[in-house]
Amino acid sequence: MSSEIKFFHQNIYSKLFGLLIIFSWLILNYFVLFVTRIDPYQEMAQKIFYFHVPSAWVAGIAYLVVMISGINYLRTKNNYWDYVGYASAEIGTIFCALVLITGPIWATPIWGTSWSWEPRLTTVLIMFLIYLGYFSVRNFGKSLTTIKSISASIGVLAFLNVPIIYFSVKFWAEEVQLHPQPEMMEQPVDIYYTFLFSLIVFFMIYMYLLNYRIHILKIKSKLENILEDY
Amino acid sequence: MIRSLVLKDLLIEIKSKEIISSMIAFGISVILLFAFSFRASPSQVYFFAPGLLWMIFIFISIILLNRIFNLEMENKSYEILFSSPLDKSTIFLSKCISSLIFLIFSQIIITPIFFLFLQINFPENLLFFLIIIFFVDLGICSIGSIISGSIMKIRSNEILLPILFFPMITPLIISAVKSTDLIFNNHPFVDWKIWFQLILSFSVIFLFSGYLLYPHVTNE
Repeated sequence: MSSEIKFFHQNIYSKLFGLLIIFSWLILNYFVLFVTRIDPYQEMAQKIFYFHVPSAWVAGIAYLVVMISGINYLRTKNNYWDYVGYASAEIGTIFCALVLITGPIWATPIWGTSWSWEPRLTTVLIMFLIYLGYFSVRNFGKSLTTIKSISASIGVLAFLNVPIIYFSVKFWAEEVQLHPQPEMMEQPVDIYYTFLFSLIVFFMIYMYLLNYRIHILKIKSKLENILEDY
Repeated sequence: MIRSLVLKDLLIEIKSKEIISSMIAFGISVILLFAFSFRASPSQVYFFAPGLLWMIFIFISIILLNRIFNLEMENKSYEILFSSPLDKSTIFLSKCISSLIFLIFSQIIITPIFFLFLQINFPENLLFFLIIIFFVDLGICSIGSIISGSIMKIRSNEILLPILFFPMITPLIISAVKSTDLIFNNHPFVDWKIWFQLILSFSVIFLFSGYLLYPHVTNE
C-alpha cells in the first residue's frame, strides 16, 4: 500500500507547473516595478494593487470552491470533496490574511488611517474570523466523519452570509465608502494587462497550492488507514 | 410531530427550570455590571442602550444554544431521537422553535429590568420594537440551532459555539442595533426599512438552509 504514495514533485507536470509559476512571478514583479506607469496621486503605493486585488479575488474563488465542495460532500459523502473543501479553505484564509495585510499598508498613506469600516474590508475580516472557527472545528474533532460534515456545512453557511455581511456593513457605515472603484476597462494598456497577468499568476498559485494540499490530505488519510489496520 | 418535540423540550424545562433561570440570572448580572460601568455618565447610556441590550441578548442566547442540544446528550437520548423514524429537519425546526420560545420568555423578563436599572425610558413604538426583537430572535435561533446542533457531538463544543456563532451573526447584530436605535429615537418605518429587510432575509435564508442542511450534517 505504501508503494502507492508518491511525492508531489515526482509528478513531472506539477514540477513544470511550479517552475512556470516561479518564472511568471518574477516576470510579474518586473512588470509591476519597472514597466507600469507610476500613478501621479498615489505614486508607489498604487503598486500594491497588483497584489491586493488578485488576493481578494482568489480568496473569494477559494471560498466559493469551499461551498461547492461542501454541498457535494454533504450530498455524496465522497472524501475527495472534503479534501478539496479543506484545502481550499486553508488557501482562502491565507489569501484573506494577505488582503487584510496589504489593505492597511496601502491605506496608511492614502486614507491617512490604517483601518476603516469599509464594506469590502469588513466582509473579508468577518470571513477570516468565520474560517478561524472552521479550523477550530477541524482541530477539536474526534470522529472524522462528523467533522467533515460539520465543516462542509460551515463552508456553505459562511458563503451564504457574504452578501448579507457586505450589505449590512455598507448601510451601516455609509460615510466611509472610501474604497476605490476603478473601471478596469478604462485603464491604460500597461496597467490593464499587468493586472490581468497578476490575476492569472495568483490563480495559478491557487491551483498549485490546491493540488498540493489535496495530495497531502490524501496521503495523510492513507497513512491514518494504515495505522488503523495495525 | 414538531409540536410534541417542542412540548417535550418545554416539559423538561418546566421540570428542571435550568435553562431559563440561568439565562435570566446571567442577563441580570450583566445588566448590573453595565449599570455600574455607566454610572459615571447616565446621559450617555441612552446613546449606547441599543448596543448594550443586544449584547445581553447575544450572551444569554449563547447559554441557551449551548444547553438546548446538550440536553439530548444527557442519558444519550440523542441516540433514540436520531434513530427514530423522524425527519431530521423536524428535529432542527423543533429545536429552533423551542429555543425561540425560551429566548423570548427570558427577554420578556430581562428587558424591563434593563430599562429600569439603566434608567432609560421605554420606547414609545413598543410594537415595532417587539417585531424587531422577534425577527432577530428568529435569526439567532435558526443559525444558532444549525451550529449548535452540528457541533453537539464534538468535545468542548461550549468553546466552539461562540467562536462560530459570533462572526456569523455580525450582519444580524448590525441590523438589530441600528433598527433598535432608530426605533428608540422615534424614527418612522421608512428609516429602518432597509434594516428590517436585512434581518428578515437573514432569518429566512438561514432557517431554510438549516432545514435543508441539518439532515445531511447529522446523517452518518
